[in-house]
Amino acid sequence: MTTGLLHNWPEPKAPGRVVVLGCRGFVGGAIMADLKARSVPCLGISAVELDLLSPAAGEALAAKLHPDDALVIVSALTPDRGKDIATFMKNQRMMEAVCAALADKPVAHVVNIGSDAVYPDDASLIDEATPTAPGGFHGMMHLARELMLRSTVKCSLALLRPSLLYGAGDTHNGYGPNRFRRTAAKEGKITLFGAGEEKRDHVEIGDVARVVRLVLQHRSQGALNIATGRAASFHEVADLVASHFPNKVEIVELPRSGPVVIIHRHFAVGAMLRSLPGFRPVALEEGIAAAHKEVAHG
Amino acid sequence: MTPTVGFVGMTHLGLLSAAAAAAKGCRTIAADPDTSRIAALEAGRLPVVEPGLPEQIEEHRARLTFTSDGRSLAACDLVYVAPDVPVQADGSSDTAPVDRLLAWARETVRLDAVLVVLSQVPPGFTRKRSAPGAALYYQVETLIFGRAVERAMRPERYIVGCADPAQPLPTAFADFLSIDGCPILPMRYESAELAKISINLCLVAQLSVTNTIAELCEGVGADWREIAPALRLDRRIGPHAYLGAGLGIGGGNLLRDVATATRLAGECGSDATVLAAYEANSRRRGDWAHTTLHRVLAGVAEPKVAILGLAYKVDTAETLNSPGVALAQALRGGDLRLHDPVVDPKPYGLCAATPLEACAGRDVVAIMTPWAAYRALDPAALARTMRGRVVLDPWDALDAAKCKAAGLDRYVLGVSS
Repeated sequence: MTTGLLHNWPEPKAPGRVVVLGCRGFVGGAIMADLKARSVPCLGISAVELDLLSPAAGEALAAKLHPDDALVIVSALTPDRGKDIATFMKNQRMMEAVCAALADKPVAHVVNIGSDAVYPDDASLIDEATPTAPGGFHGMMHLARELMLRSTVKCSLALLRPSLLYGAGDTHNGYGPNRFRRTAAKEGKITLFGAGEEKRDHVEIGDVARVVRLVLQHRSQGALNIATGRAASFHEVADLVASHFPNKVEIVELPRSGPVVIIHRHFAVGAMLRSLPGFRPVALEEGIAAAHKEVAHG
Repeated sequence: MTPTVGFVGMTHLGLLSAAAAAAKGCRTIAADPDTSRIAALEAGRLPVVEPGLPEQIEEHRARLTFTSDGRSLAACDLVYVAPDVPVQADGSSDTAPVDRLLAWARETVRLDAVLVVLSQVPPGFTRKRSAPGAALYYQVETLIFGRAVERAMRPERYIVGCADPAQPLPTAFADFLSIDGCPILPMRYESAELAKISINLCLVAQLSVTNTIAELCEGVGADWREIAPALRLDRRIGPHAYLGAGLGIGGGNLLRDVATATRLAGECGSDATVLAAYEANSRRRGDWAHTTLHRVLAGVAEPKVAILGLAYKVDTAETLNSPGVALAQALRGGDLRLHDPVVDPKPYGLCAATPLEACAGRDVVAIMTPWAAYRALDPAALARTMRGRVVLDPWDALDAAKCKAAGLDRYVLGVSS
């Protein structure tokens, strides 16, 4: 089975206008900034301009779309806004509005930013051929949204599934580099569950923006995970974050409760490397250093 | 009595089998309706690279007749239909050439002659082609690219698919098979057809286990080269087991049989999850070269790479599922220099006249087919001509100590680096 992207434009071309839905968030903002830096015509739409949960959201979005547009969908209520049924249903209603708009006003290319949460929580080595089997509402939400798009979109559809993201502009406070940096700065310590043995693949936010740009430039379709191919333990991440502070940062290991099951999560990135020759994800050391510097310099 | 034997379909399998029959003392008719193919053979131009085959044909040429005239088959007691079976993009077999040549042979073979399908066909194929006239059999071929002459001359056994295995084999067929003195195993058509797939699936299983453990070795600091000999001494595994770590499952035939068995299991409702795992493992290990490059070249902007070897293995020009070609395609657009002693590199990138020329000024050298010419490379000379120090040597072609002395960073399958 072949995995990865199919490029409808084997040679990169400038896409037409790119509409970024959810342009003010951590991910959407990075995508907008990257496109604007390369003078790609963009229309950013955030929840301020368009509430996808409003009854007329579909019509309102349709009114903004042109046939030659590429639509990048980032808008979603992230897990920090809720991991419950209500949040799940809101996310589906948001995508329902997007699909209604796309059915009414088809565009030339759709790129959806989903998540690796569509894969089983206990999958230790993941690639695009790994069967999707989400273990929670967040992953189920992304998988259902992908299915909604697959059933609606008639043009090229790219489904991108990034692993854990980090970067200076991250407003979320999930367990990982961003939270570690904040607690190290504020409290002089980083707290780990157990010894932080679990390995995860951490993706620098700029890589997502670069992949999106390449996907737009090639009018690519298919499903692709965004990962670096190197999983690091949370302890390694904590050590890296701590190394950027002038004062010693204490790394606290909280005893785990109950039976300990350590689950690692690695990504096989062959499809990404094949699909995007020349693209090299930012190494964790480099990305954490850059994020630290960016935060330190405001 | 030595029978007169015909072979229809002068591609790899048919040509090789015809040459072997002639070498065993049989008058042999090597037929193909493609006149240009026959003209090339008459002129001594072979369509395949196979060690020993040109010499064998030359030595036994007096007993070997190349012809595109199907009427010549009337002289044969036994006629094999043996075209190569192309593998399609989805991994399935295209058996149309077998049907075409079977029909062509049936126009002229004698009613008392024996027709044998030698090409690999899926279970059920031969019984559906049973028809009045010459008796029809199926025989399992076990050709191995690069070792085909040896295998054809010294078979381990013959597996013969029959309409009714309780009936004795026709004399001409039995006489021909008896020349080698190896066991002859008659069985029903479907069993023989599935036996061929079974052999390949067992090999796939060995390779998949090998590749799985080789990857583990790389992770835990072990060396598969130290483990494999210990396994070979285990009687339950054996000295000839497929324990060479590889870049997934090489070539197209083994994966074709995984695809065939998966399809059959789907039709029958039997469990094929392990086959899917073999396929997935093969794909992931097939990415070893460029994922390793990705890992070790993290700090090198626009690396210059030399790829040595585009054939899927040594002693063949076959490039289907070739790791070298896959790497060249994965690095397309980058700064590549390519070399292969047999395969023309031009379709894949810029080529060099010699291996060392390909390596000049390169950050990385990837030896993707362990040709003898590459095994003979002097690591010191390699280090002098390269710009960088990274050598991907999946099959351990170079001398480890010399590479270390030359300061090369060598990456070998199944070895922790």
